[in-house]
Amino acid sequence: MTVNTFNGSPSQQALAAEIFRLMTAQGVLFAADAPIRQTLTNLTDFLASRQQRTPDDVAKEIDAALQANEQVFTREEAEGQVTFVTSRLGAYVPRIEDTSHTFKQRLYEPENPLPIDDISVVVSTSRPALTTVEPVFISDYWQRQAGLMPVLPDGETEDGVEAPMIAADAEETAPVIEVAPVEEAALVEEVAPAVPATSSTVLTLADGLAIDLRRSVDELMAEHGAVLASRLSSAIDNDPLRRIVSFGRQYYLESALASMGKNDMRRIRDEIVEQGEPLLDTTLIANLYYHNPRQSDYEGFRFSLNYRLSREKDFEFVGVQGANLWSTKGLPTIGTKRVKASEMAQLAAYLEEGFDDSLEIQTAESIHETGSANRLLTFFEWEYGILPLDANLKALLPPPLLPDQRSAVLRVESPQHYTTYLVEVRYPTGNRGGWLQGLEEFFHEHLVPGALITLARTPEANVFTISYEEAPPTEDRLLTLDEKKNKLAFANITYYCAVDADQVVNQQRFGRLRNLKSFPMAERRKSEMMLEHVVETLGEPAGTREQPRVRFNVNDVVVGCNVLRPMSRSYILSLITNNDDFEADPANEGVYIFHAEVKDTRSSGDDDEEEDVVETRPMRRGGRYADDDDE
Amino acid sequence: MDARTISYGETAIDKLVQWLRARGEPADAETIARQYLKILRDLVVEEKA
Repeated sequence: MTVNTFNGSPSQQALAAEIFRLMTAQGVLFAADAPIRQTLTNLTDFLASRQQRTPDDVAKEIDAALQANEQVFTREEAEGQVTFVTSRLGAYVPRIEDTSHTFKQRLYEPENPLPIDDISVVVSTSRPALTTVEPVFISDYWQRQAGLMPVLPDGETEDGVEAPMIAADAEETAPVIEVAPVEEAALVEEVAPAVPATSSTVLTLADGLAIDLRRSVDELMAEHGAVLASRLSSAIDNDPLRRIVSFGRQYYLESALASMGKNDMRRIRDEIVEQGEPLLDTTLIANLYYHNPRQSDYEGFRFSLNYRLSREKDFEFVGVQGANLWSTKGLPTIGTKRVKASEMAQLAAYLEEGFDDSLEIQTAESIHETGSANRLLTFFEWEYGILPLDANLKALLPPPLLPDQRSAVLRVESPQHYTTYLVEVRYPTGNRGGWLQGLEEFFHEHLVPGALITLARTPEANVFTISYEEAPPTEDRLLTLDEKKNKLAFANITYYCAVDADQVVNQQRFGRLRNLKSFPMAERRKSEMMLEHVVETLGEPAGTREQPRVRFNVNDVVVGCNVLRPMSRSYILSLITNNDDFEADPANEGVYIFHAEVKDTRSSGDDDEEEDVVETRPMRRGGRYADDDDE
Repeated sequence: MDARTISYGETAIDKLVQWLRARGEPADAETIARQYLKILRDLVVEEKA
């Protein structure tokens, strides 16, 4: 820029050119269009001292020269101070931000977004190396893409107002569309209520449930508490920021969790393995962290421990509401190893198929009120120490605390014998049934099949009691299973418990059961086959060699089937009803006739002639009888 | 605030976070739902009043 480009007299042009050089030298490192400011006072002081003139004269000349070149120098006056602004380009033009399209917009709202299976692909919610937790913004656009927010109708903005552009289009196209007057009126009637006249106090949930917030919180919670808690839990679980985390029914801030590392996990695992059984969270805290329940941060620390362990693969939650028990790999198995979990789940599947009649003798309400459940022990239950988790026990035992919880460990105490047993509850999954295991020793020590037992709650959530009615010693020949020979036989046994005479599997009533084949556990899931085998073994032959028939009483068959596997009476009746080979005996209620297959020779053993003679010996109180089987 | 603009589980969840922080210990599902309802009620009813 030369002197000639400036306006004014020659002296003013020269002065303006000099000041322009001075100011551009001052802002030599500035951006080309960045403003370069200098006050009139500073310019005057500099030039007056250099030209050895009075400042007032110089100030007037500078002001006049620069005002004559206002296309280059912008004059600003504020608080009595005059400032001139220029730029290296020669004139300062305020910068205008071009936001017609931005990288941020392209990043957050691409034209062709990839499908999202997981919102964490869009933004990582993992904790940074430094523990400062910053809120992460996820635009509504991505949340809608991931299905976390409802998609707004076309043309509708966040505020629910039609976008101006669409509205304009609609106005333009409106005259073209011919709509019958009646339809227009109907449309207006439909649209009219959507425009709020006044603010509303009625909150409407996604399922249409209306909550009037003018009512008191207590009233609303009493009426809709469960739904509101459930909806809030779902919303908190789906929050991509994970500000609030949950364990069971407890909620706490993610940022307030106590930090626990791999070393903590190793110590906890070692402690559980050393104790040899699942441990309570309170026990772990007391033994490893020496925290006192009276400390103000105790509950927060306890939550942190449970939350952290729930996210570790090496630990399994086996507790119930009110007792957070943790198990880990390397602990001894609870209960029998003779029945695999997969096999037992299939054997108990009939409970989930609707053939559960366990509440016929005691209602669920009664169990809830009394806190105790009574049941008769079957042979299968007695032999393996397993109780199917039917409605009777479900009414008594606590449900799983966590959604994906597989099992729970309970402590069952016998107040009659001062003994304690660890019992594992396996919860039903899908169409597989659940069961309890771990009472084998107690059953064999003190009970016989047909005994009436009572399970009862205690003040501790994970502790139950088991009891039975004691009775004078009774000697009988009862069914037993010889594991080595895999054979059923009768043995003389003296027992000291009250029994249901119809359920006791003794030789007098069920002598033919000694011929029952002890099928492998995997075979026993074939319920039809088991039923037919029991009927053929237990029933009375009736018919001819060409048309063999077997007559049986269903009550006996229920007892017989429960030697091989758990089966409810309703399940057995359903199998009988749906099988054409069975027919009811019209003359006798509860008696059925089975059309057996024609065989060359009927299997021997339907009499008791070949039964083994078993020497009895004095039994200790409730001794194990396997040693007394026929040998 | 107009109750129709409330998205249950999202609106004012930051106030619930603040309450939980001030509380200093975990809360069960019913307690947290009750407090959240109270927050929403304050937003709608008291603001209107």
